[in-house]
Amino acid sequence: MGQIISQSFAVIAMNLRSIPRRIWMSLAMVFASAVVVAILLAFLAMVKGFETTLSSAGSNDVAIFMRGGSGAELNSTVTREQVNLLEVAPALFKIDDKPVLSAELYVIVDGIKKTTQTEANIPLRGLDIDGTKLRSGFQLIEGRMFEPGTNELIVGAGILREFDGFDLNQEVRFGKYSWKVVGVFSTGGNVFESELWSDAKVIQSLYNRGSSFQSVRAKMDSPASLTELQTYIENEPRLNLDVKAESAYFAEQGSSLSYMAIFGRVISMIMALGAIAGALNTMYTSVADRSREIATLRAIGFSNISAFIGTIIEALVLAALGGVIGALAAYLLFDGLHASTLGGSFTQVVFSFRLSTELFIQGLNMALMIGLISGFFPAWRAAKMPVMVAFQNGH
Amino acid sequence: MNDLYLIFKNLTRKKLRFFLTCFAIFIAFLLFGAVMALKGALDSGIEMSADNRLVTVHKTNFTQPLPYAYVNKVKNIEGVKDVTHANWFGGYQGDPTRNQIITFAVDPESYLDVYSELSTEPQHKQNWLKNRAGALVGERLAQANNWKVGDQIPISSNIFSHKDGGQTWEFIIEGIFSAEDKQTDTNYMIFHYKYFMETQSWGGDYVGWLVLTTTDAGFNEAVAKRIDEGFTNSQAETDTSTEKAFNKAFIEQMGNIGLIIFSVIFMAFFTILVLVGNTMVLAIRERTGEIAVLKTLGFPSLRIFKMVIMESLFLSFAGGLLGIAAAYLAVAGLSEMLARFLPNLILGAEIIIQALIYMTLLGLVTGIIPAINALRLNIITGFSRG
Amino acid sequence: MSDEMLFSLNNITKSFVKGRENISVFDNLNMTINKGDFLAIMGPSGSGKTTLLNMLGGVDQPTSGEITFDGGRVDTLSESQLAGWRANNIGFIFQFYNLMPMLNAARNVELPLLLTHLNKTQRQKSVETALELVGLADRAKHMPSELSGGQQQRVAIARAVVSDPKLLLCDEPTGDLDRQTADEILEMLQLLNREFGKTIIMVTHDPSAAKFAQRTLHLDKGEFVEKDLVA
Repeated sequence: MGQIISQSFAVIAMNLRSIPRRIWMSLAMVFASAVVVAILLAFLAMVKGFETTLSSAGSNDVAIFMRGGSGAELNSTVTREQVNLLEVAPALFKIDDKPVLSAELYVIVDGIKKTTQTEANIPLRGLDIDGTKLRSGFQLIEGRMFEPGTNELIVGAGILREFDGFDLNQEVRFGKYSWKVVGVFSTGGNVFESELWSDAKVIQSLYNRGSSFQSVRAKMDSPASLTELQTYIENEPRLNLDVKAESAYFAEQGSSLSYMAIFGRVISMIMALGAIAGALNTMYTSVADRSREIATLRAIGFSNISAFIGTIIEALVLAALGGVIGALAAYLLFDGLHASTLGGSFTQVVFSFRLSTELFIQGLNMALMIGLISGFFPAWRAAKMPVMVAFQNGH
Repeated sequence: MNDLYLIFKNLTRKKLRFFLTCFAIFIAFLLFGAVMALKGALDSGIEMSADNRLVTVHKTNFTQPLPYAYVNKVKNIEGVKDVTHANWFGGYQGDPTRNQIITFAVDPESYLDVYSELSTEPQHKQNWLKNRAGALVGERLAQANNWKVGDQIPISSNIFSHKDGGQTWEFIIEGIFSAEDKQTDTNYMIFHYKYFMETQSWGGDYVGWLVLTTTDAGFNEAVAKRIDEGFTNSQAETDTSTEKAFNKAFIEQMGNIGLIIFSVIFMAFFTILVLVGNTMVLAIRERTGEIAVLKTLGFPSLRIFKMVIMESLFLSFAGGLLGIAAAYLAVAGLSEMLARFLPNLILGAEIIIQALIYMTLLGLVTGIIPAINALRLNIITGFSRG
Repeated sequence: MSDEMLFSLNNITKSFVKGRENISVFDNLNMTINKGDFLAIMGPSGSGKTTLLNMLGGVDQPTSGEITFDGGRVDTLSESQLAGWRANNIGFIFQFYNLMPMLNAARNVELPLLLTHLNKTQRQKSVETALELVGLADRAKHMPSELSGGQQQRVAIARAVVSDPKLLLCDEPTGDLDRQTADEILEMLQLLNREFGKTIIMVTHDPSAAKFAQRTLHLDKGEFVEKDLVA
């Protein structure tokens, strides 16, 4: 066993040292492996970033109420009467005997995307001042809070970054009405930063919503209070509502880009097949190039296992090198890259690509798979190389 | 025997390498075909939009409704030919997130005037116009759900409630509409606006948006301006744009899909180019001695140059044609599977022509360096290297 | 055999630049070769015999001097003109046969005919004749890898004569063969010289091969030295 290892090391060292002789073929293999990994990671980082943006928005102990079967805030309606009934619901967390509850609605307004200069949907959310307490991490980073009852709004940091015309103290027009930006807020990078916030009552009156809302958020005593709330709703016929933990609601919404992950995986798998074909060429060339060396080693007593291992390690090293380069390139190019897309509320969700360690490992696994497959068959050929080759002349 | 035979023999002398290189090219064009078809499907709304069709939406955002009275006001504006309107119904069957049925409540007669590319059997059209509870279903939607004329279909709304309770409407399919161009979107259904207003619990008389045709595409800009100026300072200001611009803006809301797709194709191609180029250089270098012999026998350098270029062109086309053929089959198969999500997935002649151009380029680019090497090869050094 | 002149080399100089040095191979070399000659050129490595053969074969040009072939100047031809000249006038036979490994014997022989205007049937006829001449008609469909060294060299000879050139240039044609096979090949060259009137120039370092020629020239340091008949 020890002998196999020491022999293998000798062969590996010899193979790697001979790489400069076929440098272009070897570089092509590294490059192909790098591209496959980079493409895979780009897609996964995009999906990961989107998921994180949504899932980090939801808290366990905030309940969200929407009209039964509506699935998303966009389609939901909640009446003033229903809000009143919810204010007296059990198991809600209270301060001074008042639940921390926010009845909310939003209108979709147009903003101009900086990247494309085209109109895109953004939500102008009307909420109760309590609503800000329900978003953990809420923080005004510039300016002040909107004054209830006025045409003032505060803008999420994500909107400010991706859209034109929402700078502090600027007037913005949505249709007939003009608004003033009085503050910029952050919620730690999650989806709420892709919104404009204002007073719910002002939005109801300006956009003909009467006294209706679209959703109600309320802080629960604990995550376990959800069942109590469900029972309460079921027993009250006027409450034709669904209740979910906010975290569960956003987890559902976050999966809406998962088709992109599937697309990315399929594309990179198909590309990996192409890369394997190229890498096989490289490795067969390598074996042919070293055939006399291999045969000579065999002639002086090296085992065919060492020839096999030497070749497969060469392939793994080249592919893994490509994998690392691809992952680094993906990290430099994509990590933190801002993008926005249409989310579940039919409005833009601003998010950043996120390359986690787990994704890195997935990328490297892909590279190693390319190396393993493209090394195996040529290694087989190397192992079966007849010793005779050592004694044949060059012609 | 002729030069083609020689080229073919050179190409296939190392069968495994030939196969592997072809396979890499095959993959590149498979991806190219499939991804371009996907892009085409996403862009079909832009491609298929009529030149003289305009969309008028609420200035705040297209999701905001417009008063019904706007329909007649717009109809009277100079340069407007036909006007119709539509409301988003939020239709689905079964699971609201999985099985969306795109459904609009429209003014029946004018809708078919404005969307003149949609055709339906005259008898079916008459039946639908007469039956207020009837629906007209697009060909692809009908195919995806196995619906036939005469079927009664329950469609639920995730927005509206039926005034008789519940959120489900029962429609009778009175006809199926189709379009000559395969990329025209027919993955939706329409029903009577009046019936919608009468049966939904909120009442009211607003429309989602207006679609109109101008008497001439040249008037588009003027007409759009006239409409929007007419509603300035009214309760709902409007934003009128061409159908093409509207659809384009909507697609761009998804994020820059075009860029993503372009980058993927570009990287895939570049990678394959490097792999194939390398293989060609290597393959020709291995034959240095043979090329020297051919030159010694009196084969002109230019003829050898052409043979090498031809060889890499053949290689490119061998893999490329198979790849695009595979993409064609894959798209045809996926198109049925994904009919619900991507109704317009088609690999058309345009993509095939582009693919042929890229095959030629790939062949030329990968062949040029080895061909020049062969052209320049000095017979004497050729022998010493062989 | 006529005394008509086929090749004449007048005042040939040939030098290479190697690194910074200017290496002179020939300085004022003169020779003539008559039609129907079978000439062996012998000499040690570095004597210039390969360079001479390259110039005779039109794959290399002299630095100065005149080469005339069958009344026409060769040294003034452009590279593409030379290619045509080689195709029309010269048959090459190499030490390592240089057959195309992916073509069978018949197709290897047919190769030079692709440079002529013969049609397919005419080409096939010529190939058959050439293979019969070298005694390999029954191996027409064999690949080079399926043939012995001697057989491969005979295919190479068939390839050299198939387009009926006036001159055969042989570079160590028996260098890779055993004695008996070598003699067979050399007898075949003699036959081509005698019966078909081919002029043959053969470079070799093997004296027993040179014996098959009508005359032998010894080349040393770029000059012919008197050992035997001198031109």
